[in-house]
Amino acid sequence: MKHTKKILALVLALSMVFTLCAFAQADGVEPAKEITLWTYPIGNWGNEATVNELMSAFEADTGIHVTVEYLDYTNGDDKVNSALTAGEGPDLIMEGPERLVANWGANGYMVDISDLFDDTDKAELIPATLAACTHTSGAIYEYPVVMTAHCMAINKNAFEQADALQYLDLENHTWTTENFFKAVQALYDTFGDTVAAVFCAGQGGDQGTRALINNLYGGTFTNAEHTAYTWDDPKNVQAISELLAADGIAFDASLQGGDEIAKFYQGVLKMAFCWNIAQQLNPNTANGPAEKTATGDDIVFMSFPSETGESSLQGGIWGFGIFDNGDEARIAAAKQFIKYFCDSEHTADAVKAANYFACRDTAEGTDLSGVWADNAIMNEYTKLMPYLGDYYQVTTGWAACRTAWWNMLQKVGEGADIEATIAEYMAQANEAAAG
Amino acid sequence: MNKITSPRTKAYRFICTIILILLALMFLFPLYWIVTGAFKPGADIWSVKPVWWPSEWTMQNFENLLNKRSSPLFEITIPFSRYFTESGKNIVLFQGPTAPAAYRWLINTVFMAVAAMILTCITATFAGYALAKKRFRGRGILFGLIVCAMALPKQVILIPLLKEISFLELYDNIWAVIFPTVGWPFGVFLMKQFSESIPGEILESSRIDGASELKTFTTIVVPMVKPGIGALAIFTFINSWNDYFLQLLMLTSNANFTLPLGIATLQGETSVDMGLLMAGAALSALPIIIVFLIFQKYFTKGITMGAVKG
Amino acid sequence: MANGANHKLSRTLQRREDATGYLFMLPSLIFFVGFVIIPMFICIFMSLTNANMHASKEVSFIGLQNFVKLAKDKEFLAALKNTFIIVLVSVPVVCLFSLWVASVIYNYNGFALSAFRCIFYLPVVTGSVAVTAVWKWMYDNYSGIFNIVLKETGIIEKNINWLGNSDYALWCIILILLTTSVGQPIVLYVSALGNVDQTLVEAAKVDGATDTQVFWRIKWAQMMPTTLYILVITTINSFQCFALIQLLTKGGAGTNTVMYYIYYTAFKLTEQTGHFGYANAMGVVLAIFIGLLSAVQFKLAQEK
Repeated sequence: MKHTKKILALVLALSMVFTLCAFAQADGVEPAKEITLWTYPIGNWGNEATVNELMSAFEADTGIHVTVEYLDYTNGDDKVNSALTAGEGPDLIMEGPERLVANWGANGYMVDISDLFDDTDKAELIPATLAACTHTSGAIYEYPVVMTAHCMAINKNAFEQADALQYLDLENHTWTTENFFKAVQALYDTFGDTVAAVFCAGQGGDQGTRALINNLYGGTFTNAEHTAYTWDDPKNVQAISELLAADGIAFDASLQGGDEIAKFYQGVLKMAFCWNIAQQLNPNTANGPAEKTATGDDIVFMSFPSETGESSLQGGIWGFGIFDNGDEARIAAAKQFIKYFCDSEHTADAVKAANYFACRDTAEGTDLSGVWADNAIMNEYTKLMPYLGDYYQVTTGWAACRTAWWNMLQKVGEGADIEATIAEYMAQANEAAAG
Repeated sequence: MNKITSPRTKAYRFICTIILILLALMFLFPLYWIVTGAFKPGADIWSVKPVWWPSEWTMQNFENLLNKRSSPLFEITIPFSRYFTESGKNIVLFQGPTAPAAYRWLINTVFMAVAAMILTCITATFAGYALAKKRFRGRGILFGLIVCAMALPKQVILIPLLKEISFLELYDNIWAVIFPTVGWPFGVFLMKQFSESIPGEILESSRIDGASELKTFTTIVVPMVKPGIGALAIFTFINSWNDYFLQLLMLTSNANFTLPLGIATLQGETSVDMGLLMAGAALSALPIIIVFLIFQKYFTKGITMGAVKG
Repeated sequence: MANGANHKLSRTLQRREDATGYLFMLPSLIFFVGFVIIPMFICIFMSLTNANMHASKEVSFIGLQNFVKLAKDKEFLAALKNTFIIVLVSVPVVCLFSLWVASVIYNYNGFALSAFRCIFYLPVVTGSVAVTAVWKWMYDNYSGIFNIVLKETGIIEKNINWLGNSDYALWCIILILLTTSVGQPIVLYVSALGNVDQTLVEAAKVDGATDTQVFWRIKWAQMMPTTLYILVITTINSFQCFALIQLLTKGGAGTNTVMYYIYYTAFKLTEQTGHFGYANAMGVVLAIFIGLLSAVQFKLAQEK
């Protein structure tokens, strides 16, 4: 009780001080000397040792101290939201446009950073990444740093055992829908159990299930203008019903993307639909050897199957955004941070830490195309980059759509009528898309 | 009791014992799995077939847990000094040496549980005594309110609570988890049950002897409800230790995390490292189990006495 | 009343009682009012508005609209139903199960008795997050212990997706809840059995009552206060199953509860995020049900 009294007294006393400070801050925008960054585990941006190195380099050059907090994908969003509610959001955040632009940006929590992009930057950045970071209002809420194409992976030893390697184009990492189902059948005949899971316990890794279902028969997820969702495309319905019918493929409402990877890594599942270069380099983030499962089987990354073999892959884009905490000094410091890591000779370090590909070839005259020159796996992976498809994750109502998507998969997986269920959940998503 | 047990009862007891042992194994299993899992190497952890005993005992999981994140072991800050600093953070008066963050999380968790325990015991003993023995006006309504609020899950008031905490400038502060725990009125209810059993005559005679209310309370009431305080202490400690929800809602920075929260942030982008999880679980479970085993007798006695009274 | 002061108190005495009573209550009231009652009132108030997380949107009074919307929200109704299934199933099961365990271990010698008591209490002290992680692995669809054991004993042919199938998931969660709830009731029942008036038991036996009759007619009746207390604490406990849902299913596979749905509506990253008015309306509905439930329980307690 003593504490409460003290607090009440202090709150009263300090409310006066607060008004004084508010006056003091009004003039001048000298960058603040201390800011906070919250980052999701994007490659080694979730690894304290790596990040500390980057931050001390930054502090040495600019005198700005960055306090880093690490979010996880399970509770990270909730944490940001509750912090925003409490008015205690961070200055900087690292994630993708689907959160920074479509959600927090659209809801007015982010600072428009379009003044950080000059004409050279706009020319250097891969247009799709810049477009994804731009809100429909024209404001830019994220500075993209790295990107990748999300793909899938197969257990090569298991495929060999099932005599299914014949269905893969290992040279180009592509395969056709027909061969995909043949391979699933062959694997099922050999192992007699689920070999691949359409995971749907939550939204984690859902780019994998979307890409799988869209590519099988060429269905679409949104319209070209990114204003409405189009999952009821008959081609998607066909894909879902074929997946449901296939022995060896389970719609699993107990797994999310991360769980699926773990099961694949264990050797239980023979394919993973939630995969990208980061997993290829460090499967399951278990710090085992690259491209190997726990049992030592070889992992091969593959494009998603499609009728022609030419799929359109989901892109992942990551970068920095600034939360509007109403303090010009901190915003100025945060902008300096972004400039430093996204558009300077230090960008290479930021890219390397993230384990993904740079969103531009040069930054302020520094060549970034060679960042991964000495990495054979990264080089091989660039074969998939041309298949990078439309970045539709910035469609309005995106977060609601993701929820509706996995709920739809759960229902369909339990035997609900496909067309009716898709229609029901797509309507929810479209309601959100309409604003 | 004299025992003339029929063969049927014997058979029944035998079957019961078998079932009980099986059940006991099931109840023991999570702890067993946590402790062995904490020492298993990666190959055992990732094996599809369950590995019942570590193929080799390794400290790797604990190393991962300790090395991944660091934090000052403790910090003493000036509350509210944030309004005077440019960074909007409180001035740190004294900072402990940088250590693995898991230790800091453990310290935070212990601090949280102990502070909640002490505050609850003090406030609830006072209030429980007043509700049971003081015939002040409005106590019926008050007691009714307490009873109704007891079962209320904190999720019901989550948004107002969060707003209030941020208004009090306590967001991302360990006290934000402690205060609502203390506010939960179950302790008052429990201590009222205990205080009922204090004979009125003793209180009366103490009053006639001219003892002040506070004196009566400290010299007569407190010793008589001591077992209850003990039970409430352990109960609150465990409860606060396990209250994942409040921690999840109120704490955001590495230095303020509790163990379960901190361990969650050590997970990678798409992976769940069971070994690390088990090491963290072992680290967070062992202190409390030790506390429980030491105070077990006290605890059993305490909770019983309060409950058996109607 | 133990102090037997049933007569009307004189005015000065009453004032004295009021003063001391409230003085003793004060420390507790600060926290109780500050962190339970005030938030509850704000909650009720907010439930009548369209309050939103996003400061940019204006807050206005919308009457009972949120409640009308709730009545039509299928997800909410399912969550409400699940919440009640959890409470209505786990409370009696916990009571009966712990009564049975207590009556069996009561006959054991000191060491076995306290060993069993400890073991059944362990899941409570191990910590919910830790225990849940193990159970998650036990329920695993592909390599969980349940599926392995059931398959090897030939009881099932195909793996059962315990947490991914809405036929099982809720029951799986209730099972975990049970293991973390029975510890205290067992301790209580063991002691209550020890306090049963033996002369009554002996008398009944002389009258030729069977063991079963003795148990239900005499022991059970004498343990009524304990049972009521257990009902209360188990009910409280069952409403606190948030962590289980959050860590295991995230409300999927037919396991959504009101407690989780409130959190979800408030903070999960969806377009619904921050519909605080709506989330608070759910809280109010739940609070009303809980209030009723508590009232019934205490009515029962007073009658006994």
